[in-house]
Amino acid sequence: MSGFLDSGWSVVMLPLALAVVVAVSGRLLGRLTPAVAIVAPVWVLAYGALSLVEGVHGSARADSVEWLTIGGAGGLTVGWAVDGLTAVMLVVVGLVAALVVMFSAGYMHGENGLPRYYAALCLFTAAMSMLVVADGLVGLFIGWELVGTCSYLLIGFWFTRPAAAKAAVKAFLTTRVGDVGLLLALALLWREVGDLSYSAVFAAAPSLAPGIVTAASLLLLVGAVGKSAQFPLQIWLPDAMEGPTTVSALIHAATMVAAGVFLVARAWPLFSLSSEALAVTLAIGGVTAVGAAAAALVQSDIKKVLAYSTISQLGFMFAALGVGAWGAAIFHLVTHAAFKALLFLGSGSVIHGSGTQELEEMGGLFRKMPVTGTTWLIGAGALAGLPPLAGFFSKDEILHDVAGAEPMWAAILFGASLMTAFYIARTTRLAFFDVYRGSGHPHEGGWSMRIPLIILAAFAGGLGFAAASVADVVGAHQGSLDLRIALASTLFAVAGLLAGWKVAGIDHPAFARPSFERLASLMRTGWGADTLVERAVLSPVIGVSRVLYDFVDRRVVDGIAEGAAPGARGLGRVFTSLQSGDAQWYATMLGAGAVALLALVSYVGRGL
Amino acid sequence: MTLASIIFALLGVVAVSGAVVTVFARDVSRMAMGLGAFLLAVAGFFVYWGATFLGVVQLFVYIGGVLVLMIFAIMLVHRSPDGSPLLETRHDVAALAVAGGLFFMVVMALRGVVPDSVNQGIESGPAELTEAFLGPMLTHFEMGGVLLLAVLVSVVVILGGDDR
Amino acid sequence: MSLLVITVGLFSLGLYGVLTRRDLVAILASIEVMLGSATLLLVGLAAAGTPVGAHEGAVEATGVMVIVLAAAEAAVGLALVISVARRFKTTRVDELAEVKG
Repeated sequence: MSGFLDSGWSVVMLPLALAVVVAVSGRLLGRLTPAVAIVAPVWVLAYGALSLVEGVHGSARADSVEWLTIGGAGGLTVGWAVDGLTAVMLVVVGLVAALVVMFSAGYMHGENGLPRYYAALCLFTAAMSMLVVADGLVGLFIGWELVGTCSYLLIGFWFTRPAAAKAAVKAFLTTRVGDVGLLLALALLWREVGDLSYSAVFAAAPSLAPGIVTAASLLLLVGAVGKSAQFPLQIWLPDAMEGPTTVSALIHAATMVAAGVFLVARAWPLFSLSSEALAVTLAIGGVTAVGAAAAALVQSDIKKVLAYSTISQLGFMFAALGVGAWGAAIFHLVTHAAFKALLFLGSGSVIHGSGTQELEEMGGLFRKMPVTGTTWLIGAGALAGLPPLAGFFSKDEILHDVAGAEPMWAAILFGASLMTAFYIARTTRLAFFDVYRGSGHPHEGGWSMRIPLIILAAFAGGLGFAAASVADVVGAHQGSLDLRIALASTLFAVAGLLAGWKVAGIDHPAFARPSFERLASLMRTGWGADTLVERAVLSPVIGVSRVLYDFVDRRVVDGIAEGAAPGARGLGRVFTSLQSGDAQWYATMLGAGAVALLALVSYVGRGL
Repeated sequence: MTLASIIFALLGVVAVSGAVVTVFARDVSRMAMGLGAFLLAVAGFFVYWGATFLGVVQLFVYIGGVLVLMIFAIMLVHRSPDGSPLLETRHDVAALAVAGGLFFMVVMALRGVVPDSVNQGIESGPAELTEAFLGPMLTHFEMGGVLLLAVLVSVVVILGGDDR
Repeated sequence: MSLLVITVGLFSLGLYGVLTRRDLVAILASIEVMLGSATLLLVGLAAAGTPVGAHEGAVEATGVMVIVLAAAEAAVGLALVISVARRFKTTRVDELAEVKG
């Protein structure tokens, strides 16, 4: 067993190799493709699970290789290290990815370009594993960029649909804004510490100037905010729903978007030294949690509801990070991965069965799709925070920790969780109860779609009782369950659920009343974030571009272009004398170059 | 002045003057003689330093082979109708600058590396040479053989083509 | 010092010849000067006690290799010169540059 666990690179290399195999021989494999592709996440899952069984405390196993040598300052090393946090992440990634691949066998059946799809899933698994097992920021960054690329590839899977292609580009560019922050953080830490492995950075962190620590933390936070679709970089995630629902479940709910939370938890020794960075993290998390939850209240597309819900839940995690409860954040990450993947796959099953994403065209699906309906109810309960489902425990822990540190933000989070219960109850009623309003023949998917739902439902239901062991494994202290908080949040959840249920009942088919319509439409567009970005970012950029075009391009460039012909003729005369076809002249130039190089090396080079 | 330094100076003078003639002579046969003198001086250096075998190889291959080949080529090539096989040299400031610059740069760069006096001599003889070629440098040896074969074939191809 | 100056001087002289001679045969002769001077420096270094190569006999073996390479280069080069002379009736590079194929 230990031999298996010592091969930490295998969680990256095997999925990578499988991605190549699937991409190359996908056509040959045919219907067997999912069966081959599932090996990658299962391997990751097995590795993570065995690590947990063996017991990992602190940095148990590690290995690293020299990657690049830069000057005399030492090299960039890329290594792997498996500790409790990594093992937990590997289990989450492996489990969700395996179930998603399994679900895809039914959901994506008959699509074109399936080798591409499964290859991208394997590549994503490899990249996500790289991100979590890396023993330093360099490896994390490689994985970070690769998951972004996979996200781009998979959102744009139906690239012939303009909306999907646009969404893919939007997701890529928006997260890229965050990536720049991450890269700058790496550069800053490299300059200050000279080594980017976690151990070295964290060892050096206390001796760095406070300003540097804050700057580095904030830059890391920018990266995390971009990846996790937090305010103000949240705009890409709702659009990312253009990808296949399976992809949304894996990448945009359970794993990649959680990478931001993982990053902050990983870099906790750095963040803990900067109260400013923590305050910013808390504010971002709180604002995002409540804003996205409000936006989810009025969505008419089942996937959009879940997308805003994901943003909101990630906001909860950031808020927890902001008050230092990173163990609670990771625990919520784990439970959220289970119940949100469940909800996404459930919505996939609904979409597969009814052929629509619009809530208005659903209704009464519970009778027609009992497995999907039952598992959805468990997931919805977990999301709303009903005891004893998983979300109840993890959300409680967050609320408890935030309430202990910042009561004002805790109140806001309570509001967000009230809205959470409201929107999920509304969505549930609209999709699964009352009468069927669509025109198709909804039906349950095959077993390959039902089994993942059942497995995830088991986790969404039971994971809450693992709170203590998760906290123990990742090495965080676990807050005791506060009865008052638990009671309050349960009451909020029940109240939200009832209200949502009621509103969904009286409100359809007209989804919002005219008086409410202005606010609702604003919320439906995610508080008009896209318009805001268009006004605040795109318009100025386009305006500046237009000015540049008018002035620089028309006047300067065209001027140069029009003046180019005479100039070129003159230059040509000079250069023809250089290019005479005279080999000896060329040899002379070559010799001159050699002499110049020698001079450079022996005189200028010394000074460097 | 020791005997050694006199021999060194003598060989040096021959080598340099041979090279000067090779590079500047206008007459073809004088250029060939200059090259011969240069190569002989190099062989002399080898022998003087104790690398006798290398000197002999230099003598055989260069003086016996390359120089004869070159004279052949000169005879073949310069059948000019007016009977004036003069070699053109277009003296060039740029070339002078490059050659001079290279000289300066390399001398400055290697100044500390190359010892002043050549006093030790080379002790290894043909036995060590053979051992080197059949041992650690076997690959070089084989590559040399392959290269010579390739040269043989390519010369045949180049010259055998369009013989009218 | 004298060894260095002589060998590098010979090398530069050969280079000057390569750059200025207008006849292919003379260029080849100049290249031989460059090769010879490089070998001379190598063997001279070994004779001065500087360790050259990883084992005994490496210097002489390398010298032999250079001579072999030089011979091969001369053979191919002269074959090309003769071929060029046959086709274009000249071996002068400036005239050849104007012929262009």
